[in-house]
Amino acid sequence: MSANTTMLPPLGKSGGSGEQLSGGAAANEKSALKAAKGGLICRRQLCFLLAFILPVPKLLEAPSLLAYFSKGDLLLPAFLHYVLQTGVLIALLCVCAKSDKPLFQRLREVSKPLAAAVYIALAAYFIFSDLFPLLDLANFSNTAFFDTAPSVSAFLPFFLLSAFICVKDEKAIGRSADLCMPIFLFAFFGLIFMAFGETDFTELFPLFGTSAGENFKGMYHSFVHFSDMALIIPLLGAYRYEKGDGKKIVGAYTGGGAFVLLFLAVFYGVFGALAPRETYAFDKIARYFSALDVVGRVDLLLVYLITVVLLYAYALPLQLAVICLCGACGIGAGEADGVGAGGVDSGAKHAERAKRRRLILSLSVNGAVLLFVLFASRRYHFFYSLTTAKLFFVFPIFSMALPLSFLLLKGDKKR
Amino acid sequence: MYSFGKISHTFGVNTFEKFKNEKFTPTLGDNTLVIKKILPSDDILIYSFLSGGGVPCAVIYADGMVNKQLIGDLAARPLSLLPGNSLSLEEVQKSLLFPELKTADTPADAAREILDGNSLLLVQGIPLGIIVGAKTVPQRAISEPQTSIAIKGPREGFIEDVKTNMALIRKRLKTGNLRFEYAHAGKQSDTSIAICYLDGIADTAVLAAIKKRLSEINTDIIADSSYIAAFLAPRRYTLFKEIGTTEKPDIFSAKIAEGRIGILVDGSPIALTVPYVLTEDFQTAEDYFVSPFAATVFRLLRFFAVAISLLLPAFYVSSQLFKIQLIPLNLTLTIAGSIRGLPLSPSLEMFLVLLVLEILKEASIRMPKYVGMALSVVGALVLGDTAVSAGFVSTPAIIIIAFSGICLYTVPDFVETGSLLRWLFLIVAGSAGPFGIVLFIAFLLYYLITADAFGAPPLAPFAPLVRRDFKDLLFKKDAYSLCLRPKTLRSENKRRLKDGFFENDGGNSGANKKNHPLDGIETDAQKVKEKEKI
Repeated sequence: MSANTTMLPPLGKSGGSGEQLSGGAAANEKSALKAAKGGLICRRQLCFLLAFILPVPKLLEAPSLLAYFSKGDLLLPAFLHYVLQTGVLIALLCVCAKSDKPLFQRLREVSKPLAAAVYIALAAYFIFSDLFPLLDLANFSNTAFFDTAPSVSAFLPFFLLSAFICVKDEKAIGRSADLCMPIFLFAFFGLIFMAFGETDFTELFPLFGTSAGENFKGMYHSFVHFSDMALIIPLLGAYRYEKGDGKKIVGAYTGGGAFVLLFLAVFYGVFGALAPRETYAFDKIARYFSALDVVGRVDLLLVYLITVVLLYAYALPLQLAVICLCGACGIGAGEADGVGAGGVDSGAKHAERAKRRRLILSLSVNGAVLLFVLFASRRYHFFYSLTTAKLFFVFPIFSMALPLSFLLLKGDKKR
Repeated sequence: MYSFGKISHTFGVNTFEKFKNEKFTPTLGDNTLVIKKILPSDDILIYSFLSGGGVPCAVIYADGMVNKQLIGDLAARPLSLLPGNSLSLEEVQKSLLFPELKTADTPADAAREILDGNSLLLVQGIPLGIIVGAKTVPQRAISEPQTSIAIKGPREGFIEDVKTNMALIRKRLKTGNLRFEYAHAGKQSDTSIAICYLDGIADTAVLAAIKKRLSEINTDIIADSSYIAAFLAPRRYTLFKEIGTTEKPDIFSAKIAEGRIGILVDGSPIALTVPYVLTEDFQTAEDYFVSPFAATVFRLLRFFAVAISLLLPAFYVSSQLFKIQLIPLNLTLTIAGSIRGLPLSPSLEMFLVLLVLEILKEASIRMPKYVGMALSVVGALVLGDTAVSAGFVSTPAIIIIAFSGICLYTVPDFVETGSLLRWLFLIVAGSAGPFGIVLFIAFLLYYLITADAFGAPPLAPFAPLVRRDFKDLLFKKDAYSLCLRPKTLRSENKRRLKDGFFENDGGNSGANKKNHPLDGIETDAQKVKEKEKI
């Protein structure tokens, strides 16, 4: 039986800014219609994604990297990154506000080959952008979860999870954002609370004590960690903009930025000049909490909790890559039409076929990335310099230039 | 008394199908012959007699399922006093002293009623069967279900008779909106099923989906409601329940009133409810009979206990094998003292102790009561104590498994799933350490957010986030705050508490105090009303 054999519309958000849970057959029909139009993710879920999932990867390797280049001014490059990304987000929301149609539908209307090319380019970018962070994640798992360094195979089960996640659509991303909200808040503030007693904020002074050149260096080296807006682009295909959404979405992203800046400040306050050596920051930030001597490393439980969010965050680019590849190949595009034209059975068959194809794509993408991790795990420094220094420009292209280019799309909404 | 409606549709094919085109004739002999052809079994008895005017009559019934004295006193005796050498249907029906009467057009329908425990009255000259409700099916008394004991609150439980169960629900929901729809399933068992819902409150889409599923069941026997649950569940292979269950009519009625749809199956004391969300299992009837504060504490305790039950053995093993820092230093030293000289690895040791626990549990359920008591002494005391003394297992392992076992029973409806998950967590912890545990948690959560059944995701209202439903989840709010039905269930009628319900009580109620305009504080109900106005 297929997952939708109950033939009921999903309970989750089906577009629009409010819950589409109103009862009754009529409401269900309405909800199904909206889902068919592509409204799989709602404003709240997009906000939670920006505020609670996307900041988490930035708490791992970025703090020590920024501390290395910018020292006490590590907040500055992070802040500038957020300013730039917020600008791009506003631009993207303006693009959405100009039309009721999802972004990629509009692209397809301009030119189908162009839309396919954008899909493929984004998929390639997502896979590329996740390669180096996955090496980080592998190293982090060795540090935080094992006393003695295990072989790289200990990390490989991640790809089972990732392959499973990649089969799911945007609706699952939205719901995972809902789920991550309490987990993130509990774990994040728990760690900050534990670290706060040991924080010396004077370490951050003097402000602007580092040269602009070093700060700039820190900024471009950390593009790999701060290129959020590329991740938003495919989700805009499953989101229907409604009036007033812009402020909330931008507010949520700013909130996520505030979490990161708070963490960076506390991190540097705890470790000071030693901060550049303290990789995998959230694993270490709370370890000087005085009560740990008595109760053991309970901070690790919070670290493990936030790792759940981290795992989703690192699987997200691969999931989006699969979604983009599906978009490029037209997989799943006719599901809604199938239900309408050929009846429920035809729709279910179509959905089954789409599911199978998606599974194949998921296994292919994850298999390829797994091979990369096996190959690259002993060449970490080479890939570090390749990603952060030599090919850093790829990230602004996809997280800034590409989203800004969507401003050229014509709108169909009258003011 | 039972309210007999029109004979319902039968789902499934059995011997009745052969005779489905047969009709009753005015000849009594032909009719009894057809019935005996359909039901040739020896326990189907025919009681023949003559009316007062000498018209031949016959009552056909299944032996042991009918109150023969009632048939004699209320059917045969009045007919034997009825004059006239030919009888009409109205005359017969008027003379019978039964409140439960209906007619069957075909021998197949009549045969089904006989098997259901009713009696068939056939009269020469009447081409119809008269169904007489004189059922006395052997059944046990209503008692408190063993699986959900309540210290406070109603103690009645469902029994195996579907009609009695329906009466227990009707007793609690005295409204015309309460609907029972009959269906049958099982080619051989022809089990009666009653779909129960409140019209105007239950989601019609869910109702249609349930009916469709039931109509597709094509199996020999429905021995219990769990068979129906298996056919209703959208996923065939899943660790988690997809259909809610309860043995208590008060819980069932409350769920129906929330907008769920219930399914009662003849022969099963366990009723099904749809849609199901995982958090249902963590709510008990008593939560609604104690103060909201106490209910909140108990609920948090249950969530915490289940988490401990699932994760404690796994973290114990993984901390010993992969991350010793997880355990405080002094405790590490104590554990080190206990496990010194053990021949088994931590994971194997824990695995064996858990195996013993599961075997003891399984055996104590199935064993006769008196042997069971001896078993607990032998198993828990002798076996546990000697195993530690002999150095096979360590004391911490036994403590952890015992505690984990107790914790899981704080949520009885989650025991089966919890036991399986505990094994899986243990295997993952022994092979991949804490990272494996975290990966497995992430996997389970992601699975749950996408495993919708009947339009309700099992992790609702966490994911998707439904703020309104949080009032009765981890934290239990007071009755005034629960003015709306759970949004997750997409009820057609959202409101369950009328605003201003206590407006004429002289201002003594908490609601009225809360509503006072000078306070400027709106109740949730008022807020909703305002929103609806807008």
